[in-house]
Amino acid sequence: MSHLGERVSALVDGELGHVERERALAHLTFCADCRSEVEAERALKNRLRALDGPAMPADLTMSLLRMSEPGGPLPPRVRPFPDASRSFGGVPLPGMHSGGPPDNRPRGRAQSRGGRARRAGYVAVGLTSAAVAFGTMFVVGGLGATPAVVPQMEKFANQHKTTAPYGQLNVFGSASTPPAVPYEPARGDGAPYARSAHDTPTPTPRPATPAPGTPSTPPLR
Amino acid sequence: MSRSSLGVLVAAVVLLSLAVSARAGTVPPPDQEGDDTGLHLLREAAAAARLQDYTGTRFVTSWGISGASSTLFDVRHTAAGGLFVDDVSPREPGRWVDPGSLAGGMASPPEGMLRTLAGNYRVVPAGGGVVCGRDSLIVEALRPDGTRAARFWIDELSRLLLRREILDGAGRVAYADTFLDLTLPDPRPVPPATGSAPAEPPRVPSPSPSPSPPQSLPQSPPGPEELDRLRARGWEFSGSLPGRLRLFSASDAARDYLYLGYSDGLSVVSVFIQPGDLDETRLRGWHAQSLDGHTIWIRDSVEREAIWASGGHVYTVLADAPADMVDAAIAALPHEGEPGLWLRMGKGAARLLSWINPFE
Repeated sequence: MSHLGERVSALVDGELGHVERERALAHLTFCADCRSEVEAERALKNRLRALDGPAMPADLTMSLLRMSEPGGPLPPRVRPFPDASRSFGGVPLPGMHSGGPPDNRPRGRAQSRGGRARRAGYVAVGLTSAAVAFGTMFVVGGLGATPAVVPQMEKFANQHKTTAPYGQLNVFGSASTPPAVPYEPARGDGAPYARSAHDTPTPTPRPATPAPGTPSTPPLR
Repeated sequence: MSRSSLGVLVAAVVLLSLAVSARAGTVPPPDQEGDDTGLHLLREAAAAARLQDYTGTRFVTSWGISGASSTLFDVRHTAAGGLFVDDVSPREPGRWVDPGSLAGGMASPPEGMLRTLAGNYRVVPAGGGVVCGRDSLIVEALRPDGTRAARFWIDELSRLLLRREILDGAGRVAYADTFLDLTLPDPRPVPPATGSAPAEPPRVPSPSPSPSPPQSLPQSPPGPEELDRLRARGWEFSGSLPGRLRLFSASDAARDYLYLGYSDGLSVVSVFIQPGDLDETRLRGWHAQSLDGHTIWIRDSVEREAIWASGGHVYTVLADAPADMVDAAIAALPHEGEPGLWLRMGKGAARLLSWINPFE
C-alpha cells in the first residue's frame, strides 16, 4: 500500500468512510512516515482550534444599528480610535478592525429629524391654543343668545281672526263683553294701514241680545 | 212755449227723475268705479250686515294640501248689539266679533277692504242664484287675466252676504263661507249704495252711552312714520307680499312680537314675528316640511298655519287664503339659516375684549 498522501487530512478531519478509515489505520501501524504526518496534522488543527476568534468591532455594530433603525437620533458614536486624522473630508475612515461601511450619509439628515419633531410640537401647541381660543369665543358668543320660543298660537289666531282688514278695531272677548264700537265709519282716505287689535281699548259692556228661535231654511242649492 | 206745455215738460222731468231714483236701488251704474260694476252690491252687503238683525248657521270650509277642514258657527246679529259668533264645538265659548273680520265671515268688509278689492280685481255682477232658499245676486271678482278669484252671493231682499267663495289660481274653490240657514225677523231696507265710497257710512245707533269713547282710540292709522318707527326698532318687514297682498296693519304693541296683516281685498294673511329661536321640541301636532332646504312646520286647520325660524326670529303665518297664495307669501318671507359660526365667534371675541378692556 502506498502512503496516505492527501488522505491524511481527511483522516484527521474524520471524513473517510468506514472501510477507508480501517485501511488507513492499518497502514499507519507499519508506516512511520504517514504516522508522523498524521500527528503533525492533528497538532496543527488543535493549535488553530485553541486560537480566539476576532471580536465584533463597536464601530461596525453601531453602523449596522444606524442602518436598521426607523428614525430618531442615535446615541453618540463610540469610536475605538477617536483620531481626527483618520477622517477624509470630515467623514471618518473605518478603522483597521471595523468591518462596517463608513458613515457617509449627509450630516443634516439626523438634524432635520429633530427639527421636524420640534416643528410638529410647535404646530400641536398652536393648534391646541387656537382650539381653546375659538372654543372660548364660541361659548362666550353663545351666552345671552336669543331665547327659545314657541309661538303663542291661541293669541295669534285670535288676533288673526278678529282683525278687520283696513277697518277699525276688532273687539274680542267672551259673551259678556260685547263690542264697544259696533260700527266704525270706513276710512275714506284709502289709507293702506289700519290699527291692529292691540290698540283695542277695554270693551264696553253691553247686554247680549238673546238669539230668537231660528227656523231652518234650506241650504245652498 | 205755452204755460201748459212748460208744465207738462216739468212734470215729465220730475216723473223721470223719480223713476230713475226708484231704480237706483237695484241697478246703479257707478261711473266712478269703471269696470267694477258689482262693487256697489258689496257695499250694500257691507251695510246690510251692520243694519239687519238676523240669526243663522254658517259653515266655513277651506281646502288645503291635506284635504278640507270645516267649522260650523251659530251667528246672531242685531243692529244694536253687534255680531255674536258661537263655535258649535264646546271648546271655545262664543264671542262678539267685528262683522268685517274673518271671525265675522267678512260679512261687512270696511271701505278700505273694498277699495283694495276693486284695485286688485274687477268686480262684476254675474247673474243670480239661490242660497238657503233665498234668491241672491252673484258678484264675481275677476283677476286681470279674466279668471275668477272670488264669488259672492248677496240676498236680493236684505242684501246680506249669504255665501262667499275664494278660488285659487287654478279655479278651484279654496275657501267657502256660507249660511246653511238664515232667519231675518225684521228685514230693513238698505239704502242703495252710490257709485263712489260713502262719505259717511250708515252708523248703527249706540244703545247706551259708551264708557270708552272713541276718543281713546288712535285717530289716525299708522302711516309711513309708524312703519319707520317699527323698522328703527329693528323689525324687518315688507310692505307687500306676492299675490297682490298689501300691508294693512303693523303693530308691536304686544312688545314681544310684531304683528303684520296683509290682504288683497279677499284673503287675509297674518304674519307674527318673535325674536328668538324656535323650540321645536314643544311643537305638538305640527309636522315638518322642507321648502328649498329650509324646514317649515305646518298644521292643517281651517286657516293655513306655518311656523319657521330665520335669522334669530320665529315667523308664524296664519292665512285664510288659497294655498298657492300662502305658499308664495311664505316663500317671500325671510328664510335664513341658523346664525353663522363667524357671527357667533365675532360676538364672543367682542365680549371677551369688553371683559378685559379696562376702559370700557
